Amino acid sequence: MTATASPVTRPPVQARSGGFLSRALSFLFTQEVILFLVLVVLIVLVGSANPRYVAERNFINILNGNAYIAVAAIGMSMVIISRNIDISIGSLIGVLGTLSGTIAINGYPIWASWLVPIVAGALVGAVIGFLVAYLRIPAIVVTLGLLSILKGGLITITGGAWITDLPSDYFLAQMKSPAFSFLGLNVPEIPSPILLMIILTILAAIWMRYSTTGRAIYAVGGNAEAARLSGISEKRIIMTVFIINGITAGIAAVLWATQLSIIQSTVPAGLELQIITSAVVGGVSILGGIGTTVGAMLAAILLSAINSALVFINISPYWFRAVVGVLILVTVLADRLRRQRNRASERG
Amino acid sequence: MNRKLLVGLLLGVVLVLGFALVMPTAAQDRWDGADDLPVNPLECPAAEGAGEASPAEMSMPEYDGGQPTDAPDLAGQPIVLVDVPKLVGIGYFAATTLGQQQAAEELGNVTVTTDAPTEANIDDQIAVIDNYITQGVNGILFAANDPVAIAPVLTRALESGIHVVGYDANSEPAAREWFVNQAEFNGIAKAMIDSMVAEIGADGSFAIVTSTFTTPNQARWIAEMQAYQGKCYPELTWLETVEAQEDNVLSFNQATTLINKYGPDLDGIFGMTSVATPAAADAVAQAGLCAVDAVAGAAGSAEDAVAVVGLATPNAMKPYVTGDFAGCVKSVVLWNPIDLGYAAVYVLRAVVDGEFAPGDTSVMAGRLGELQVVNGSEVLLGPPFIYTAENIDGFDF
Repeated sequence: MTATASPVTRPPVQARSGGFLSRALSFLFTQEVILFLVLVVLIVLVGSANPRYVAERNFINILNGNAYIAVAAIGMSMVIISRNIDISIGSLIGVLGTLSGTIAINGYPIWASWLVPIVAGALVGAVIGFLVAYLRIPAIVVTLGLLSILKGGLITITGGAWITDLPSDYFLAQMKSPAFSFLGLNVPEIPSPILLMIILTILAAIWMRYSTTGRAIYAVGGNAEAARLSGISEKRIIMTVFIINGITAGIAAVLWATQLSIIQSTVPAGLELQIITSAVVGGVSILGGIGTTVGAMLAAILLSAINSALVFINISPYWFRAVVGVLILVTVLADRLRRQRNRASERG
Repeated sequence: MNRKLLVGLLLGVVLVLGFALVMPTAAQDRWDGADDLPVNPLECPAAEGAGEASPAEMSMPEYDGGQPTDAPDLAGQPIVLVDVPKLVGIGYFAATTLGQQQAAEELGNVTVTTDAPTEANIDDQIAVIDNYITQGVNGILFAANDPVAIAPVLTRALESGIHVVGYDANSEPAAREWFVNQAEFNGIAKAMIDSMVAEIGADGSFAIVTSTFTTPNQARWIAEMQAYQGKCYPELTWLETVEAQEDNVLSFNQATTLINKYGPDLDGIFGMTSVATPAAADAVAQAGLCAVDAVAGAAGSAEDAVAVVGLATPNAMKPYVTGDFAGCVKSVVLWNPIDLGYAAVYVLRAVVDGEFAPGDTSVMAGRLGELQVVNGSEVLLGPPFIYTAENIDGFDF
């Protein structure tokens, strides 16, 4: 396969012919830039109403609060870009987190309690991928079934008992990088969830943009027929995205479980929706073929910032759901608008 | 095509404008999480010796519960019960289930199964109850996710001849025969405020982390806490109440946001649920603001310290009371949920056996002895229990 095969090389952001101005404009209208600007405006507005909102501690808490969601959104973005969906991910994170805690309190080494959930996540992802790719069962059906199995199974096995008495070196999400100076700035201690979120998101974004397999994900989601004709194995790509999704779910589960000194042994309510919302608001098109992990991360941070802002400016948390709803609608509208402009420019 | 898009965008703009207009009015409302029902604060600690109005002295309202239609007479015979708590999967309802099993074992002629949704969702809860009415059971024990919404399905159970007894979270009285009240709301409210004042003084400031503003128990406690605080400690500053569902990560994030928002102005946090309290304690511990901080290098100065008082199960609170973060939390307020589940089964058995009927003023409940009837059709479990460093290690749930 040559690098010039047309659907495969289609980059995530439509590079259209045209002058510098039009290219600059289309960059400005990417979801990532819009989200970043919205985030800045929100921080400036709320920060001017209450300066403590922009204090270092709250800033770190905002980044930290949804870091595990952003990590899970990496795999979810790939799944959605390949024109699939995984609605079992919240349940999977609950199960893998409980697995992690169970391993830790039973005297196994700490690294096992961090690693086994990630491996288990990859295995579950492989099973989903197999059912979707080879048995041709729609992903929503497979993961709906899995959601019930995981949710019910977890309650049956744990009986709802919380996991407490975790060893003190178990709490990965509470660990921090040492503080350091960078270009004259004093960078404070960064909690590990933030570090993982940023590193994994950037690695995934680079991989998706520049590797053959990464680009093939866009091709499969954008136009499966064309992808097949250009020699891409759709089955292999679907297996790959679900396995990666399982791995990021495993990492997210470890972050979720190691954040507090208790593991609730339940499936976090509505977690799958938060992860899918992050991906969609981040500009991942629910129709497949478009989106980046950077957008999904920015969206997860934005949702966390909004949640915090509502407390800071004394607005009922009920508004959070309404605001998120508006964000989703606006994003989907923007996605349509962009698709039409692209189509128009391809025609023109 | 473009017109459609234009309409869509206009719609979006209208929505956003709508927000901008509604938000200021919403912000003026007090989101304190209290309900509007009448309150009945208990006596202040200083005045306690002066003579306390005991529930028995107050005039007893008429029985206001419902009765099953043509319930079969199963006195002394084996009965099958289903227990439908708000949700399964949290330590609290695992403890009530344990108490029910203990009672069933003692009685020997009762079988109890616990079945409930895994999220505190009223629609799912109704579906579960509906299912058991169709299957046919002799009695239903429940803890309501919503007192009004659950009433029709419980009424249907009564009409099918099924005995209905609530515990933990009530329904409308006419939809069940009895409700086992774990503690009167004013009793809990007094214990919470008194414990907080003992730590932050009578002029401190506090905030509250609750489940949702419409959860009946939490709303009632908060209303009674306001009343008791207004009566006994008018100098206490009530900062705000935040919602955190029954989700420990969200509770942690909300408590952390409160700490960041108020900084040194925040002296204490109340956790109103068994999920919110340990999460709030975790937030305080991770911010290094425990009054007595066992973590080296993270000790907060006493002025910045944030006290945590709340409702929680002992196991969840042990790390903050006697464990790694010992001293971070000094008082955990609760009744004994094992006793609560235990009493509910005894009450239902007594009803089936005809030993406990409308108009009675007490009921015998095994090892708990004689329990008083209050508020017409409620059975009172007793005064709240405060878990401290001295006693918490003696409990395991």
